[in-house]
Amino acid sequence: VKRVELPQGTLELLILKSVSLGPLHGYGILLRIQQISGERLELLQGSFYTVVYRLERNGWIEGEWGESENNRKAKFYRLTTSGRRQLKEETTKWSDMADVVANILRTSPEEI
Amino acid sequence: MNLFATLRIWWRAMVNRSRMGREVEEEFKFHIDAYVADLIRQGIAPADAQRKARIDLGLANTQNERYRDAMGLRVFDELGADIRYGLRSVFKDRGYSSVAILSLALGIGATTAMFSLIYAVLIHPFPYADSDRIMNPDIITEEGPSMMWFVMDKSQFEVFKKAQSIESLLGFHNDNAELTGEDLPEDVALVYLTENADTFFGVRALLGHGIQPSDAGEHVAVLNYQFWQRHFHGDRAVIGRTLQLNHIVYTIVGVMPRTFAFNDTFGVGDVYLPKTLQRDSANPRIRSLYVPWIKLKADVSPAVADAELDAIVHQFAKENPDDFTKKFHLHLQPITVPYEQNTGHTLALLLAGVLLLLAIGCANCSILLLARGEARQRELAVRRAIGASRWRIIRQLLVEALVVSFSGAALGVVLSYWLAKLPMQLSPDSFPPESVIRINLPILMFSAGLALLCGILFGLFPALRLSRPDLTCTMHARLHRIGGTDRRRKVNPLIAGQIALTLLLLATAGMAIGAFLHLTNLPLGYDPDHVMQVGIAMHWNNPKVWHDIQSREGRVAFVDQIQQKIAAIPGVTSVAVATDSTPPYSGIDYAVEVAAKSNDMAQDARLHLTSPEFFATLHIKLLRGRAWTPAENQQGDFVAVVNEAFAHHYWSQKDPIGQQLRLPTLKARGPVLAGSPDSAGWRQVIGVIADLRNDGVDRPAVPEIYLPYTTFMVPRVQYEIRTQGEPLAMLHSVRAAVQSVASDQQVSDKSFDLKEAIERDSQWTRQHLFSILFGFFSALALLLALVGLLSVVSYSVAQRTAELGIRMALSASRRHIAWIAVRIAARSVILGIVVGLAVDMLIQRVLATWMSNQDLPSHNLVPATLLLVLCSVSACLLPARHAASIQPVEALRSE
Repeated sequence: VKRVELPQGTLELLILKSVSLGPLHGYGILLRIQQISGERLELLQGSFYTVVYRLERNGWIEGEWGESENNRKAKFYRLTTSGRRQLKEETTKWSDMADVVANILRTSPEEI
Repeated sequence: MNLFATLRIWWRAMVNRSRMGREVEEEFKFHIDAYVADLIRQGIAPADAQRKARIDLGLANTQNERYRDAMGLRVFDELGADIRYGLRSVFKDRGYSSVAILSLALGIGATTAMFSLIYAVLIHPFPYADSDRIMNPDIITEEGPSMMWFVMDKSQFEVFKKAQSIESLLGFHNDNAELTGEDLPEDVALVYLTENADTFFGVRALLGHGIQPSDAGEHVAVLNYQFWQRHFHGDRAVIGRTLQLNHIVYTIVGVMPRTFAFNDTFGVGDVYLPKTLQRDSANPRIRSLYVPWIKLKADVSPAVADAELDAIVHQFAKENPDDFTKKFHLHLQPITVPYEQNTGHTLALLLAGVLLLLAIGCANCSILLLARGEARQRELAVRRAIGASRWRIIRQLLVEALVVSFSGAALGVVLSYWLAKLPMQLSPDSFPPESVIRINLPILMFSAGLALLCGILFGLFPALRLSRPDLTCTMHARLHRIGGTDRRRKVNPLIAGQIALTLLLLATAGMAIGAFLHLTNLPLGYDPDHVMQVGIAMHWNNPKVWHDIQSREGRVAFVDQIQQKIAAIPGVTSVAVATDSTPPYSGIDYAVEVAAKSNDMAQDARLHLTSPEFFATLHIKLLRGRAWTPAENQQGDFVAVVNEAFAHHYWSQKDPIGQQLRLPTLKARGPVLAGSPDSAGWRQVIGVIADLRNDGVDRPAVPEIYLPYTTFMVPRVQYEIRTQGEPLAMLHSVRAAVQSVASDQQVSDKSFDLKEAIERDSQWTRQHLFSILFGFFSALALLLALVGLLSVVSYSVAQRTAELGIRMALSASRRHIAWIAVRIAARSVILGIVVGLAVDMLIQRVLATWMSNQDLPSHNLVPATLLLVLCSVSACLLPARHAASIQPVEALRSE
């Protein structure tokens, strides 16, 4: 599998997205991102939490203690209202940017 | 970013630090366990799986740090560590800390005390609601503000009340009554208040309620706190009990709180009664008068209100031309203004004094920090070596300084509570009686702000100096110490500044004390020892009593009889009758005409109405002629005695005896006054007395005239009583003597001896206050400066022990070693003294105009300078002696 490195700031967006589908604990978020990406993204587990904490500090996600699938106490994160807004904004921004970049890259010499 | 979420997390982190840590750890554990389980499932051996998970995730500790970092909690953590470290170092070096904290506590304490005094007196002196909108109407004539209060009768008051700019109007009237139904009649100061008083003042009664509209016409009384304490011993069950005033029974319905001391101008009232009662009890022929206090509407400017009310008062003047002077205008004066004028300068000067003290305290702390910093060089170098940035070190040193300054402030606030009361005790009349010194929120904020400022002020300079990255220098610390150092140079400006400020304070204290001594040594022109004044207010509002003393003859007989009875008391040497004639500020201004002088401009002179014994009783020297005889005293007319100033003013070339003068306006009118038939007629000067102080203790006597009291009688009188022993001890006998003449007649509760009258003089109290407080401040400043000096010299000596040892080993004499020690500070001390002298010369004039207008003794700086030099030398010699006693071998071994 060819591995991909994430540009700065994108991990936040991915975490918000994965949590938007339903509450997840930290390890679950990690797994989901890896799973959706088809194992092409490699995330550093330590610094992954730095990003999770930052999102929590910004009030975009909220942690709540609950029970995991194997009956252990785990902290589940879910999206807050402001987080949902943020996710929407960031998604638009990201797809706009991707569009622009893709358009430029697609341009052939004749089109200029 | 959501600020609220951040704050919530910070709050949780602060309140529940350990729980937060546990949660992070638990989450981390869960993650690691799930990860390991997954790895094992993928076929990795359990031990390897554990290892891999550890490598990928790191330690639980790191995770926690990561968390606090991401949450922005790291600054708090570091600051907390700095504070803990600061506290530790404060405890470690107790000598340093206690000196530094005490220095600051004195400075901050004195400054906070002065601030709370200013707050209590100038910023928030009155407890009344919207007191900044309460105004006193002042009648300004061509000659300036009128001395008389502006009063209205009922109909005028009703008109006034309707003015557009007035939100509410209080009318009051002061009176005296006698507390009856007890052993000896007691004098009570009454204030009649219009029934809107409770809402006007907006002060909640301590017990019951204040004067309310429903009290109109009811015989109810509200008590002043002090009176309640004095008379009812603070009995809380007083509501509903009765009080007998002038034989009329009143029901007590309220007690006002301690801060309520209306009204300060005529003396604080003991009992407040509804204004409508005044008409019932008073002599019906006397108009019930209203003194107004005006609360303006919030949106009305004083100028607009001035204009509107001025027009109304001019209308009054048109209707009653006799009551007003021809040209005048009305001016509204906020009720705080008189105190600002009287006390503002005093407080400003005192504040300047305490700020100097605070500056000296701060300098002291800087010096101590620097001196101690020498010893901490190594510690700081180690911190730098293991990677602390300069900013980090500055921050740590500043936090340490703040730990000291806040400890000092906490102690200072406690000190200030006592310090702030001192000026009020020394000079009670300069402050509104309502002012209560309290430690409240603004004062606490002030001292916290002061602590922060001081900490940064005294901490920054040493922090910047000590944090300089000069590693090599410290690495060679030992060489450095032997070779001598230029480091102490940076302390020198601080020492010099401290000495200069101290000299300034010492000089000011010297000046204040000198001025006060000068004041107390001024010749008075009379002898205040063993004389007291006892006042009597006649019962003009009691028809039964009044009947006998309303006529002039009856009243003269009454006054005379009491005089005889008092004179007969064993221990009384002499007694005289007087009306407002008690020096050092006495007499009433009256227009006077002098025969054979151009009379187009009648000039004022102070009028005294006395009995002929007045001069002998007060030991006033008769320069020429004679006092009037008892027969002339009975008659009242045709004679006058003047003082030297008067004689000099009008007849400097002639013999004053036999000259003619008259007081054209001295006519008894109305029901309560009584006068001789020709009181305004021509009088012959029969005697001249030497000048006595009659315009305040510090001012020369103004021209004055003495007339027999029977020529013009108001319904009150005072007796000047000279006794063999302590005069006030005779008060009970005097009261009994008065009662033997008139059984219901009380004596004023404001009897005092004439020495007390001097001590109440505004100039006297001011100078007294200044000399004591500045003496106190300068003593503290001297102490602080000497502690600073001492610590610098001893630290330097300790630092240079090795060097001194080498010098001694090379056979330097002990005297030379002592000289080296003294020399450390000598230059800065001399510099400080020179600067201090120069600055003092500059500001002396400013201070002189503030403290006293005239009669200032020559400003002598010699004692202050000598004192400072002497103390500095001894502060240096102490460690110098220690240096000289060092054993060379020990000194060399000391490293």
